Amino acid sequence: MTSGITTPPPTRDRTFALRRWSKKDLTFDRVSFFVVFLIVPVLGYVVLVISPFAQAFYYSLTDWRGFDAGKKFIGLKNYTNLLHDETFRRAVRNSVTLGLVLPVVTIVIALFFASLVTVGGPSTGPVRGLRNSSVYRVVSFFPYVIPAIAIAIMWNQIYDPSSGLLNGTLTHLGFSGFKSYAWLGEEKTAMIATMFVIVWSLVGFYMVLFVAAIKGVPAEIYESVRIDGAGRFRTAVSITIPMIRDNVQTSVIYMGIVSLDAFVYMAGLNPAGGPNNSTLVITQRLFDTAFVKQQFGYACAMGVVLAIITLLFAAIVFTVNRLTGGTNEVAE
Amino acid sequence: MNEPRTGLDLNRRNFLRGTAAAAALVPLGGALASCAGGGDKNTKKETGKVTSDNPFGVAKSSSVDAVIFNGGYGVAYTQFAGKALEKKQSGLGVKVKVTPATNLAQSLQPRFVGGNPPDVIDDSGKGNIGIAGVLDQLEDLTDVINAKNYEGKTIKDTLYPNVMAPGTYDGKFAVLNYVLTVYGLWYSTSLFEQNGWQPPKTWDEAYQLGGQAKSKGKYLFVWGKEAATYYLTLAISSAIKEGGDDVRLALDNIKADCFRSDPMQQVLTGMKKIIDAGYVKPGGAGTQFTAAQAQWSDAQQAILYPSGSWIENEMKDQTKSGFEMTGTFEPTVTSNSKFPLAALHSAAGEQYIVPSKAKNSAGGKEFLRAMLSADAAANFAKATHSPTIVKDTVPADGFGSTALKSQLKLLADAGSNVFTWGFVDYYGVNTDLLVLWNTFLSGGSSVKTLTDGMQSIVDKVRKDPSVKKIEVK
Repeated sequence: MTSGITTPPPTRDRTFALRRWSKKDLTFDRVSFFVVFLIVPVLGYVVLVISPFAQAFYYSLTDWRGFDAGKKFIGLKNYTNLLHDETFRRAVRNSVTLGLVLPVVTIVIALFFASLVTVGGPSTGPVRGLRNSSVYRVVSFFPYVIPAIAIAIMWNQIYDPSSGLLNGTLTHLGFSGFKSYAWLGEEKTAMIATMFVIVWSLVGFYMVLFVAAIKGVPAEIYESVRIDGAGRFRTAVSITIPMIRDNVQTSVIYMGIVSLDAFVYMAGLNPAGGPNNSTLVITQRLFDTAFVKQQFGYACAMGVVLAIITLLFAAIVFTVNRLTGGTNEVAE
Repeated sequence: MNEPRTGLDLNRRNFLRGTAAAAALVPLGGALASCAGGGDKNTKKETGKVTSDNPFGVAKSSSVDAVIFNGGYGVAYTQFAGKALEKKQSGLGVKVKVTPATNLAQSLQPRFVGGNPPDVIDDSGKGNIGIAGVLDQLEDLTDVINAKNYEGKTIKDTLYPNVMAPGTYDGKFAVLNYVLTVYGLWYSTSLFEQNGWQPPKTWDEAYQLGGQAKSKGKYLFVWGKEAATYYLTLAISSAIKEGGDDVRLALDNIKADCFRSDPMQQVLTGMKKIIDAGYVKPGGAGTQFTAAQAQWSDAQQAILYPSGSWIENEMKDQTKSGFEMTGTFEPTVTSNSKFPLAALHSAAGEQYIVPSKAKNSAGGKEFLRAMLSADAAANFAKATHSPTIVKDTVPADGFGSTALKSQLKLLADAGSNVFTWGFVDYYGVNTDLLVLWNTFLSGGSSVKTLTDGMQSIVDKVRKDPSVKKIEVK
């Protein structure tokens, strides 16, 4: 930390910064500042986050069975096995599908509702949402308050083929084909039915997030847009979305991570992976491989693959945002 | 501060990057080092003098650490046994500590890896520790059943036949299964008598019964999505009865083409005929299994259900009054099968294990000895209406339960024709098989698709060198 004292005269760049690390600058204030706000949190991060990552990566190169200390280093064998594992490939495809579909659907719906309750109201008078919009805002947040597992159990009952609410309603309306239709048990519908549950449970949260963001946009902008004659759709696309794009980007990433995980919903709705594994996701397969099949090394390899997919997803979102003209770096 | 902000920023970032990079390397080295040295440390064993009253040499004033699965049977029966132990060994001052637990694989993994597992474990329920992963860390329990129980009889002589087989792996009796489970087809005697129906003895009879049930607006079978493999259990039992031990050994040793044997194929074809005729209640692949079971025991929309004897307890609150639940033998294919119709798939559940590395494994064994005493076994049967592997603990009236009474009859009729298998649990393939069976029972796949699918699941296990195989004889 004492290096860089003999650097050339200060300029407004990196070398200037380096010169600051002279001994006499290491006052108690500064050192204690570093310790409390930098070293302690970084240590915590290293011990609680980085080291498990590294450990998991190391285990993924072994044939560890999980209940003893004996493990053999087998190089990338677990990874080559994963490439040929038909069930795991299916799980990856399902997870990626969730990661692509859920963020888009959830955020589009959330944006739509958020616009309605903030600026989508009557076109005369002050810019405001629909009548009673505060009620809608609260109600739409309800599902988010319920824990995911409770939601899964609830929807299991709703989707029940013989006595579920959904089939009951449909047959009552005259669609007799749905008498014993297994929404979660047919390959055609299991994934869509599951996605619907996830969207239903999370859309309220993103809506509230966007409502807060839109409230941060100065009302004069909306007023002048209205004077210029823009309709509601044009306002949403040309004003709302560009003004809150940082929130949207963060939401897409967050929702993407939730979708790539999705463990609780999937395990709650279809514990075994659904008909023909149509709702099996990586996290479910990972859990089963580790704790039931006791192939912890192999399961760790799955975890590493999931981490890589998640990072790729974040990279893609950032790139898309850059290419479409976004400038703000939300996080480094 | 008056420094330009850019300078401060750069510094902070470089500092963070450097720290992160260095930090990433440290644990990796640590993990490598720990793997080289870990696990070999021997825990100090507590042992005492072996006497006839203390056959395993439990140390004076030691304590027994029992971790018990807290499921349908609760843990009170083990506390009862613990008290019996403390009383019996009061001279030694042994204390028993019972810890209820669920999800045993997750909760006990750190203790196994750390080399300080509990002295005795009831390794049961969903999320239990697969025996394959810990087999070489378990005590051989043969000396437990060779010991005398608290009433002075040799334990072995007080047990039902064949109860050691399911717990024996590669010649080592590593798992003591405590609760006797009888598998069969379960039905309502009152409903059958009302309609003049007879439980089916072959798959053809089952098909005909399906037709009779249909005419009353009922289905023959019903299933739930988490329990589709109950029908696999039924199919395997039926095939073993038809084809004898060859069928069982091929399956249990996950041999090539084990699902393609003639008896197995005949059973699956018999089932397929029933499925195609529409005698199985549709929608099971989307129904929670207890809801599906209630459609049999409460709504009586289906008349037969294949399950283990836990079914009575499981559906206690959802059984129609006057149901008179009764178990009967699983059907065969023909009337001249290798095993008689009265052969019985009976296994014991609640697997008790004693880890070798436990501090007080002698105490763990003593705990099992207490559990196998006539008093503790009778207490269990009375409290749970389920028989243990200890004989003669249930009175002839089955505590007033028709299901328990029928279990005793099944056991008596079967005599020594009792069999079981363990490959599904041992190799952890139930989840994979469930998927196939949900499709098959929905009518979505042919016998060939199902067979090929099941065969490829076990073939994959057989060809995986990292999975230790167990030879079953």
